[in-house]
Amino acid sequence: MTQFVLAVVLGLLFALGTFLVLRKDLVRVVWGLTIMSQTANVYLVTMGGLTGGVPIISGHGGQGTEVTDPLVQALVLTAIVIGFGTTAFALGLSYRVYQTNETIDLTEVRG
Amino acid sequence: MSVVVAPMLIALGTAILTLGIRFAPRVQRAVSVLGAVCYAGAVAVLGLRVVPDTVLAYQLSGWQAPYGITLVADSLSVFMLGIAAIVSLAAIVFSTRFINEIGQSVSYHPLFHFMLVGISGSFLTGDIFNLFVWFEVMLMPSYVLVVFTGGSEQTDAALKYTALNLIGSAVMLLAIGGLYSTTGTLNMADISMRLANAGSEGAAIGDPTPVLGLAALLLAVFALKAGIVPFQFWVPSAYKAAPAPATAMLAGVTKKVGVYAIIRLYFTVFAAGTLPQAIALPGFSGTGFLGFFGPILFVLATASILVGGVAAVSRPDLDGVFAYSSIGQVGFIILPLAVAATVSDPAIRALGIVAALVYSLNHALAKSLLFMLSGSLHEGLGSVKLADLGGLSRAQPLTSGSFFVGALALVGIPPLTGFFGKLLVFDTAGRAMAAGATEAWLALAVALVGAILTIAYMSRAWNRGFWGEPSELIANVRLSPVLLGVVVVLAVLIVALGVGFEPVYTTAEAGADAALDRSGYIDAVLGGEA
Repeated sequence: MTQFVLAVVLGLLFALGTFLVLRKDLVRVVWGLTIMSQTANVYLVTMGGLTGGVPIISGHGGQGTEVTDPLVQALVLTAIVIGFGTTAFALGLSYRVYQTNETIDLTEVRG
Repeated sequence: MSVVVAPMLIALGTAILTLGIRFAPRVQRAVSVLGAVCYAGAVAVLGLRVVPDTVLAYQLSGWQAPYGITLVADSLSVFMLGIAAIVSLAAIVFSTRFINEIGQSVSYHPLFHFMLVGISGSFLTGDIFNLFVWFEVMLMPSYVLVVFTGGSEQTDAALKYTALNLIGSAVMLLAIGGLYSTTGTLNMADISMRLANAGSEGAAIGDPTPVLGLAALLLAVFALKAGIVPFQFWVPSAYKAAPAPATAMLAGVTKKVGVYAIIRLYFTVFAAGTLPQAIALPGFSGTGFLGFFGPILFVLATASILVGGVAAVSRPDLDGVFAYSSIGQVGFIILPLAVAATVSDPAIRALGIVAALVYSLNHALAKSLLFMLSGSLHEGLGSVKLADLGGLSRAQPLTSGSFFVGALALVGIPPLTGFFGKLLVFDTAGRAMAAGATEAWLALAVALVGAILTIAYMSRAWNRGFWGEPSELIANVRLSPVLLGVVVVLAVLIVALGVGFEPVYTTAEAGADAALDRSGYIDAVLGGEA
């Protein structure tokens, strides 16, 4: 069930991201890109499997529990940091576009 | 072992150092150039250790593969690093005169070297998620370099470039996540080994078909990085917007990262996989994963050659001609790979990769020469529109001579490196045809049309820009000797490498063998456990 719900949510988020990227308002485009990269992160977390406990080795003495894959969580942390940097840059760039063109309507920005 | 990480560390050190000594511009410039020289030296040392058939693996922090991150240097990586070393050295010397003082002291040198760190990391890593990280390290500075001069044309180009690459990164993350979930590992050698064992008793992968789909998704990302059709939108505007030496790096080296990733992942890693049954579609043959990618690569290469060539013929300025030409030329690099992926004869497959490598080298040298030449003309004349040029051959014999060499290298005239590149592309297609792959005549025809288009747009640029009576502006122009010097050195290098082609060929051959020697790669990374 969790799997199904997550799959639907991921699909909807990607659809939303794509929809926003296709807008002509630059800030929405950046939001769309951010949503897409964050959706990819959520997807990455689900790739470690949805069952299992918190990846902390608890209950020593032969009582270790099945834990979920901690590697994907490390990967996602890396990806989040990278996404943070690129989003900041994209927002800075949008401001620059506004400065030079005095509009953020992409149909009016000369290219 | 640490010689594997030496190029990366040198580039990283130079980047941080140039960031720290911003207040002393002369020292900063000296350090930056020295860093590029040391980088070339480190690559040369690594090359001597690795070529022809050694594979050096470096386990980061001593964590053994497949659990830790592995850096792998083999002949293929070293060949690519060599290209990066030559172009970056030329570009950084050019930059010290070309980029304005403020730009240099604020951020240009750190950005340049950080980009070099990302490029070297991509060439050396043996871990697929690590490849994603290095791609990002390479892309971040390149976004800033595209927008560097900060005009409205630059912001617009950078916006396009950034947005497309952000989507590319999200897609790459999806593909990598999927690969991890289906193969259970991120280590390239381990993926390859598990793919080879797929379906057997107790194997990690039961059915390898999903891996093929994810690999195809990943191909879209690499095609975006290499700028091949249909992912070429960002190329012309970004190349026009970035300062000339940065464009030389983008066209000469960053694009080759996409090419390298295609060779490494599809020919070394994914080639191990076989489908349970053959694909029932026209053009596809066999059950191997490579057989699936052959026709796809062929379509991408053909479209790139045609779109790039046709568009370059009608551009009004030198930068535009070169930018579109670089789409077409990358098509020429992918074309022999397509043939190599389709045929099953190992000799022809190796020849195809050699052709792609030699062509990559030629394109990197010739295109960075041409972009920097156009940059120095822009600095001297204030324009590179073909309508404003004319008569340069009389007023500027040295500049014109260098352009001539670069253009002929792209056309493929002996004894330049471009001749061997083109020859090997035709040779690959011809041999594939002789070996029974009759569809290879298509590749031959495409290559022929592409060669004719190259002659057309280069001779047009020559006729309009360099022949005729020089106008007063052109007759009195003085080009900076440093800028001109770099361009001339690159032209001499193209001739020298073409005349003394033997070592280039043997290195490329070693690179191709390394790309196809799967067991050697796995042994080196996993320490013979395989």
